[in-house]
Amino acid sequence: MFSIQIIADVWERNLMTMRTIEHLHMFSIALILSIIIGVSVGIFIYMKPKTANPVLNFLNIVETIPDLALIVLLLPIVKLGAGPTIAACVLYSILPIARNTYTGLKNVDEQYTYVAQAIGLSPKEALLKVRIPMSLPLIAGGIRIALVFCMGVVTLGGLVAAGGLGTVLQNGIQLYQKDAILVAGLWTGLLAVLLDAFAGLIEKKLHERYGTW
Amino acid sequence: MQTQRLFDRIDSIQFRGITKKYGEGFAVKDLDLEIIGGELLILIGPSGSGKTTTLRMINRMIEQDEGSVTINEIDTKNVDPVRLRRNIGYVIQNIGLFPHMTIGENIGLVPKLEKQSKNDIEERVKTLLEFVSLPPEMFMNRYPKQLSGGQQQRVGLARAMAMDPPLFLMDEPFGALDPILRKQLQKEFLKIKNEINRTIVFVTHDIEEALVLGDRIAIMDQGKLVQVGPPEELIFNPENELVADIVDNQRKFKHMDTLKVKDLMSPFEEKYILDLKTQACDAVDEMTNRDLETAFVFDGDELLGQVEIVDLMKCRDREEKLSELAKPIKSFQPTDSVAFALSEMKNSGKYLAIVMNSKKPVGILVSDEVLLKLI
Repeated sequence: MFSIQIIADVWERNLMTMRTIEHLHMFSIALILSIIIGVSVGIFIYMKPKTANPVLNFLNIVETIPDLALIVLLLPIVKLGAGPTIAACVLYSILPIARNTYTGLKNVDEQYTYVAQAIGLSPKEALLKVRIPMSLPLIAGGIRIALVFCMGVVTLGGLVAAGGLGTVLQNGIQLYQKDAILVAGLWTGLLAVLLDAFAGLIEKKLHERYGTW
Repeated sequence: MQTQRLFDRIDSIQFRGITKKYGEGFAVKDLDLEIIGGELLILIGPSGSGKTTTLRMINRMIEQDEGSVTINEIDTKNVDPVRLRRNIGYVIQNIGLFPHMTIGENIGLVPKLEKQSKNDIEERVKTLLEFVSLPPEMFMNRYPKQLSGGQQQRVGLARAMAMDPPLFLMDEPFGALDPILRKQLQKEFLKIKNEINRTIVFVTHDIEEALVLGDRIAIMDQGKLVQVGPPEELIFNPENELVADIVDNQRKFKHMDTLKVKDLMSPFEEKYILDLKTQACDAVDEMTNRDLETAFVFDGDELLGQVEIVDLMKCRDREEKLSELAKPIKSFQPTDSVAFALSEMKNSGKYLAIVMNSKKPVGILVSDEVLLKLI
């Protein structure tokens, strides 16, 4: 009943190749922005420890807003389409990345930071050459959590005309096309699993290369 | 950032009226001490005596509350600490090689930050690795965790020498190593010491090490300097009970005549055995895995001799077998007297001997270890 033919039909009818590209496009932009902002925030709150708690608490509050509500709340600011979807992704992803970056930088084994200082590294050099590299496995862990968040939020973007695979699902629900829902749902799920596995692989590599624990 | 050299050689380091408080108490109290350029000064004392604090005030890892530390009459307070530390080699007990950098990158880190050219750095790293008896082509691209403890400490020494500093601070560098390894590294370390124009300040709690390495020994207790002078002076004219206690040699040899080799040997372990047919390079890997600096070569039950990893690494010929490389070694019976064994070892210039019970190896005799146990 669920032959290749049916899948191919559904795929064609719903322009799923294009939708997948849209989907991954939004996802990549969101993830890259999240990494840039998240890592920066993490480094900033590490360097200004007094800001750490307020910033992390604020991000925690953002995290508790349901994703659908967040997208809708963003509509007046960033208009309909991909904008609110990407913005919501980024808002959600900053916390795991920033928190992991901060924790990683703070928890680098003291013997290494002591030696770095003792052989004549300035605080900035110690951060760049020792703390950040040694935190990479933990930062990658944060990015991996963000990646899963983003996949979910980008799919929801279908509700606000963002395009992507969410649109296919949305249409399927509206028109009650079971096969479209199934194909798009499975495909979205498979994409998420594959990307997560890929990220897991990178995380593992980083652990082997930079990890000490 | 390119730092200028602060000093090409050390004329003297002066501690004047140094006090460092530690909570309510004092880590160091009213310390006056001069370190003479070119000497190896040992700081020794019970834990909490302030020896490490004193060492760390030289490169400003700890800042004194009162008094001044001057190097060649330059007050260290007036020197940027980063610049100061790049002019001082630093070796620490737990080594602290960065796990995410190769051995080459670890050694070349500060030269790289100093914007030296890639070629210069590579040349420097190679020279230094050769100097500490680690073949560069074999070790440059390895990561610290692939090295044994002794090899890591050698890299630690090489790293300290990267900027060719005139002054070294050594913070119990061999403290965590086993006696055989320690002896070996001390021996190599004396090479650095014997290079001209190097001044070394060395913290240890091991009086044997102090007596072997030190030109002068400063004995500290409860944050105060008790006595400083060459080893003989401390032994023959101890200032007080504590000094006499620390350096006293008389008691050591009191029971010497009655003691047997079996009383003072370290137990033999299976891991020290290598087969004679092993090739030199395989043996190096094997010894690295087992964390050995020295091993004994056997032909079945027959003892052929001893090999040291340093010698094996120097042999480029991959075909050579251990049977051709093993060096003769003294062997004793468990019931031989220690005095006899030690004098035999001294005559042959060896610090290590094997103890055999008929054909079975049962122990290892390390001369330093014997002395320590006699205290």
